[in-house]
Amino acid sequence: MKKNEQIKDNDYETVSLCKKGDVNAFEALVKKHQKRMLNIAYRMIGNYEDACETVQDAFVSAYRNIKYFEEKARFSTWLYTIVVNLSRNRLKQLKIRSNREVFSLNDPVLTDDSRIRIDPASGEPSILQKLEKKEIRQKVQECINSLDGEFKEALILRDIQGFSYSEISDMLKIAEGTVKSRLFRARDALRKCLKGVSGDL
Amino acid sequence: MDCSDIQEKLSAYIEGVISSEEKALIEEHLKSCRKCGESLADLRKTMEYVKNLEEIEPPEWLTQKVMARVRSEVKPKKGILQKLFYPLYIKIPLEAAAAILIAVTAIYIFKTIQPEVKLAKIPSEEIVTQIPSQEKRETPPIDESKEKAILPSPPLEKGDKRGFEAEQTVPLKKPEIMDKPAVPKAPAMVTKQEEIRPFAGALAKDEPSRETLSAAPKAKALAEMKREGISLTVDVKDVETDSKEIEKILMQCGGKVIKTELLENKIVLFAEINPEAVKGLIEKLKLIGNVKEKGVDLEGLKVAATRSRGNIEIRIEIVRVPMQHY
Repeated sequence: MKKNEQIKDNDYETVSLCKKGDVNAFEALVKKHQKRMLNIAYRMIGNYEDACETVQDAFVSAYRNIKYFEEKARFSTWLYTIVVNLSRNRLKQLKIRSNREVFSLNDPVLTDDSRIRIDPASGEPSILQKLEKKEIRQKVQECINSLDGEFKEALILRDIQGFSYSEISDMLKIAEGTVKSRLFRARDALRKCLKGVSGDL
Repeated sequence: MDCSDIQEKLSAYIEGVISSEEKALIEEHLKSCRKCGESLADLRKTMEYVKNLEEIEPPEWLTQKVMARVRSEVKPKKGILQKLFYPLYIKIPLEAAAAILIAVTAIYIFKTIQPEVKLAKIPSEEIVTQIPSQEKRETPPIDESKEKAILPSPPLEKGDKRGFEAEQTVPLKKPEIMDKPAVPKAPAMVTKQEEIRPFAGALAKDEPSRETLSAAPKAKALAEMKREGISLTVDVKDVETDSKEIEKILMQCGGKVIKTELLENKIVLFAEINPEAVKGLIEKLKLIGNVKEKGVDLEGLKVAATRSRGNIEIRIEIVRVPMQHY
């Protein structure tokens, strides 16, 4: 791996302070990384509140385990791995919950608007044309949500967060080739999803 | 390459992570295939959409919440200390309770031992009422010596004291104690050889000096007498039958057997008897066998006999003697 050069981790000093029990140093790390953490979580989960909670969990987990963090990778990479894993878990929980609520889809009170649209939308080609920018984003997020977890992760980390293949490979503990194939399939699926929703791009 | 193959590789094509041969093939195909061209455009647009997704801002409270939780994670370290010491909150009361229990037990045990002293003192006060007050001061040393003496063989003591001892060994004794005060003063009894154990001997030695020093020699003498035992040795042919006989004689003389020790070839009777009856007792014993006397000094005994309202202790050894001596 070409990691050795990347080990120049600008969080290194702060992290070693944290390991000595400096809580304020950890706060600095939280402030520095929370936004990216939240964005990863949000794109994976598709829900702001859940994303916020997941990020909190991730930071707490990171604090607990920071003494086990070895400087083999960047701290940020290590941190994002945690949030990806926790988001994955959160998503599973939410799916289990939503599966239970599937039968309540008929109930307008309990139904999440966006989720309802995903399925029936495919038959309405004219919608995307009328979407404004915000709506397009919403659509994109919905399509991301509809992706399988492993494709979603690859897409988010690469196309949204801009991590390198090797970083993603570290985070997801998969080979770079796998990262690529998942990424490309994710993109294709997303394209099809958007095409299906809008009928046009 | 058909369109599906091409479309699969479009993403890699865009990324530029594709071999030049494939790249050429794809470009060749794209020129002729409008559908795949559209797909490529769609894919680029899709990627653009994705990249243009707005970044969401973390809520202001996120850091605070995280840090609040992290700090509550830090506390568990104190918590570990607390856990180490927490048991003390239970332990301290437990230890306190244990300490109290031990103290109470100790006091209880003490009390079970103390009565010897207390009982001995109470009778001594009784004496004090009738005898000069010096008597009272005399008693404590007597008690000490008596306590030491108890195990080997009870020495003569104050009657009251004996009363206590008797209470421990022979319950019947108690009533006797009540009787003692009523016993009239007796004339001196004599001819007693005192067989004094070492400590008793020591006490006897002290006696004269005490008597002289004492402001109330008579009272003192009484105290001394009570403390001293009279020891008699009776040589008999048949230890068992004669010991019974001797017991009878003792009873006749107003004495009471405290205990009987059966030893090899001899029986030792520990009895209580009024000093004034000692002389008569010895006379009667002489009828049974040869009597050897080891008594307190006779003068003391006399005084004791006249003054004492309590009994003195007497030790009678009944020894079997070879026939030829008779």
